[in-house]
Amino acid sequence: MTLARNVYKALEDIVGPENISDDPAVLDSYRYSLAHTAIHIGPYYDTFTPRGEAVLLPGSTEEVQAIVKLCNKYKIKFKASSTFWSAQGYPSGENTIQLDMRRMDRILEIDEKNMFAVIEPGVIGATLQAEAMKLGLNTHLPGSGCSCSILAGATSYFGSGPSNLYGGWHYDNLLALEWVMPTGEILRTGSLGAGCGWFCGEGPGPSMKGVARGFLGAKGAMGVFTKCAIKLFAWPGPQTLPVEGTIPAYRVSLPDNFKAYTVAFPSWRAWADAAHMIWDAGIGYLAHRQFNMFGRDLKFAMIKILTDPTKTLGDLEELLEDPEVQKVTQESMRDFQIVLAGMTRRDMAWQEKVLDEILRRTGGWKVEAMNEPEIHDWALLYLIRLGHKNLNLVYAGGYDGCFGFLGAPDYGTTYVEEAAEFKREWEKRGAIVEAGGDCMMGPIGGQGGGGTCLWENFTCFDPHDKDSVEGTLEFFDACTELGLKRGWGVGMEKWNAAARGPDGRTPPKEERDRIHLAAPQPSVFRYQHRVKEALNPNDLGDAYYETLED
Amino acid sequence: MEEKRAQLVDIVGEAGVIDHPDVGESFSLDHELIPPLKPCFLVRPQNVDQVQKIVLWANETQTPLVPMSSGAPHFRGDTAPTAPEAVIVDLSGMRRILKINRRHRLALIEPGVTYTQLQPALQEEGLRIIMPLLPRANKSVIASLLEREPVMSPRYQWNLLEPLRSLEIVWGNGDKLWSGGGVFRGEREEEWRMGLVPLVGPGPGQLDFYKFVSAAQGSMGIVTWASVKCEVFPECRKLFLVPAEKLEDLIDFTYQLLRFRFGDELFIVNNACLAYILGTEPAEIVALKDTLPAWVVVVSITGGHIFPEERVAAQEDDIRDIAQRFGLKLMPAVPGCRGSDLLNLLLQPSSEPYWKLRYKGGSQEIFFLTTLDKTPSFVATMHTTANEQRYPVPDIGVYLQPVHQGVGCHCEFILPFDRQNRAEMDRTRELFREASFRLFRQGAFFSRPYGIWAHMVYNADAQTTMVTRKIKDIFDPNHVMNPGKLCF
Repeated sequence: MTLARNVYKALEDIVGPENISDDPAVLDSYRYSLAHTAIHIGPYYDTFTPRGEAVLLPGSTEEVQAIVKLCNKYKIKFKASSTFWSAQGYPSGENTIQLDMRRMDRILEIDEKNMFAVIEPGVIGATLQAEAMKLGLNTHLPGSGCSCSILAGATSYFGSGPSNLYGGWHYDNLLALEWVMPTGEILRTGSLGAGCGWFCGEGPGPSMKGVARGFLGAKGAMGVFTKCAIKLFAWPGPQTLPVEGTIPAYRVSLPDNFKAYTVAFPSWRAWADAAHMIWDAGIGYLAHRQFNMFGRDLKFAMIKILTDPTKTLGDLEELLEDPEVQKVTQESMRDFQIVLAGMTRRDMAWQEKVLDEILRRTGGWKVEAMNEPEIHDWALLYLIRLGHKNLNLVYAGGYDGCFGFLGAPDYGTTYVEEAAEFKREWEKRGAIVEAGGDCMMGPIGGQGGGGTCLWENFTCFDPHDKDSVEGTLEFFDACTELGLKRGWGVGMEKWNAAARGPDGRTPPKEERDRIHLAAPQPSVFRYQHRVKEALNPNDLGDAYYETLED
Repeated sequence: MEEKRAQLVDIVGEAGVIDHPDVGESFSLDHELIPPLKPCFLVRPQNVDQVQKIVLWANETQTPLVPMSSGAPHFRGDTAPTAPEAVIVDLSGMRRILKINRRHRLALIEPGVTYTQLQPALQEEGLRIIMPLLPRANKSVIASLLEREPVMSPRYQWNLLEPLRSLEIVWGNGDKLWSGGGVFRGEREEEWRMGLVPLVGPGPGQLDFYKFVSAAQGSMGIVTWASVKCEVFPECRKLFLVPAEKLEDLIDFTYQLLRFRFGDELFIVNNACLAYILGTEPAEIVALKDTLPAWVVVVSITGGHIFPEERVAAQEDDIRDIAQRFGLKLMPAVPGCRGSDLLNLLLQPSSEPYWKLRYKGGSQEIFFLTTLDKTPSFVATMHTTANEQRYPVPDIGVYLQPVHQGVGCHCEFILPFDRQNRAEMDRTRELFREASFRLFRQGAFFSRPYGIWAHMVYNADAQTTMVTRKIKDIFDPNHVMNPGKLCF
């Protein structure tokens, strides 16, 4: 309890006594284990993010603004988070109060005709999707899954996911936004600032939305986003998803204008060719290399378990001995999933025909075992709803990603086997799950309409086992070393190294500077520094907004 | 002044410096409200190094720079200096198409590259770029995209800046930066094979650098190349027209097409606008206005490279069904306009004279962003105001272009006037001013605030103005880039 009483009282006056706490037990529940699923920062055994000075649950933009102004007055850092996905949503130093945005969870409007929704930070993907579907619309769900805040992904992090292809990633979908800036002033971008509604985030003139986020967002280090408008897209399905089945084998049977295929190819070149042809033709509602996250050797056995409520992980080894499972595993080595959704019957027929033609031209095939009704309907629900994120952790309770080739398909496909083989060798050492080396997953279309892919190689480990955690960290260090040697650069296993060190706290400035100076354009971080000086003069965020002094 | 001239000659050579340049006639009536100033010199850099040297020189000498990539006539006043002793930086000589790559559907172009130049080159590679409605033949592709000129095919517009991707930017402080994926410039063929190419627009990092030069009217920096995303050149395409007597009758139908992302080029025009597009001389335009339907949805259907005919046939049937549901007809021609003829026109830049000038020799534009459902009320306001200002309502061209996959709509009024007729010019100017204010008060979002619109929009949004100025101070601390524009 280090906040001065008068400060605590002032904060309490803003949000009310029921929405603030500095009880150590409560504060510790707002810390994050870096040994757990740390999303590209750890794993570091027995390390937690620093304890906040207090946690507040603001209920309105006005309350957020008042809190931020008070933070400026008393020079207290603040970190807002909506659904707390990963360590990035937590403080990385002392003298920080935490804003838990969950009370601001209203869908303020869905403009059916103009296809956008206005939401608050606490609105999760599942809620928005369910409401949108009632109106024949859908929302893109970032890879973090449907239980995460849509606003957080769109404004503050990445916003990429399986439905980038047709739905656009949330960089594209972010329209006007309301931003309590680090000084406490409120910026409303685009048409909103002009009093003309939420439909446009750009302008007038040069777009100040470009200050709010670039390729990535500021990860909670530059003020608080309190509302935003998100572009939606057509949902040519029922108003509610008719979900059936028993946990974990939930599935959905949709009309014939929906199909979820797993397609596979004889070579990586053919895989890349198919991706380009799909983008050129403009087919597909969603495309993702999804189930390979279970590993090239294990994925079909895992799908058999996950689609059969009578099976458990204990059946895995037996299933792996099944010749039929082995056959499917072999034929789906170079695969991805694609969902077709026809806006009309004719549209669906044409898309089906085009997909078949692409497979013919590339020598690819549909993995027929994935078309079994139970499996098909499970996969369809998985991909549309993205509600199975718990399965990221299914093997041992922890996972993290490494490598993460980002670029055109030719880039990832050139190196996938080398990176997979590298991991396969490390898997033999016992610290990480032996899954076949290639556990690479990511969107077929990193942005609307395609063009790029992302190859995140899932690495599963036991966060409660010191040897497993430390072995995984050793593996990640080796990945970085290989990436630098091969010219791939530092992989996603170190994406946050500039912002948080092994002790869970901001690394020393010298270390951050070293990383930023090694970037292809250090000036990017210098400009970010100047923007921080201009808009966050009291430096009340953390190092997740990456800067380099002149 | 002679010293300045000599310094510029040192940078771009004797042939690259023009004294007291005539930068072409401007058609903006705004100029009588905000008078432009005569520039001292026009310089023609040939590469990014020269551009950088010019900008650094401008910082040293406190000389205003006005970037310009397109040829005359200039319509909106953004290339007309509003500060004394300015130097025009004419980028039209940087007109190399650096790369066209079919696999990545990407082209790298310099700022002087025009649609007239780019489109045939793309077609040779089986590609095309989505175009604005009949750009001037000498219109720079990069300038058009930077100014967020709406494109005719909203379905490909994943964001408002599409199809613009990575840029090379020389900021007002003289720094060079590659935005988006521009650090992968694809200088080696190997990089193109590996997919290390400038495919990405946003970033890099946590700022969105290309948004700071977007719609900036040259006030932040100078773009020296850009990558632009292309589409497959369709092996089969058809254009249809859906007529109606009232604009309101077309709105829900258009929304349905946008919802399904049916149609490629997709927009709404009134009879006057369509007449200006189709007609070649005033008498023909008058006749066309009387013949054409009051309002028309223009929708093209394209088939790419796999089963193109079947794609077009399926979508034609679907759109016909949708039209029928709304009591409308999908037609290959309407009185005064055949779809195939219009398609041929739309696939090219405007022939000369520029289409907005054909009727009366002069034309004033009013355009802004809104949503499609609100456009009828803006049209009504425009007509009321025109009546009050004794401007002939039948002459008002209306062009409604859905943008960003239908989330927003560019609403444009075209007001032809006779430049030889002083009274008509005065009436048009007064209409322009009065209608601009009324539309603004009604909720029109002047997202690209040229001329007098800048005062309206920035005065109404203090926080945006403050942040925009802070960003300007970072990238152009000495305010050498096109001073006097926007809120600077």
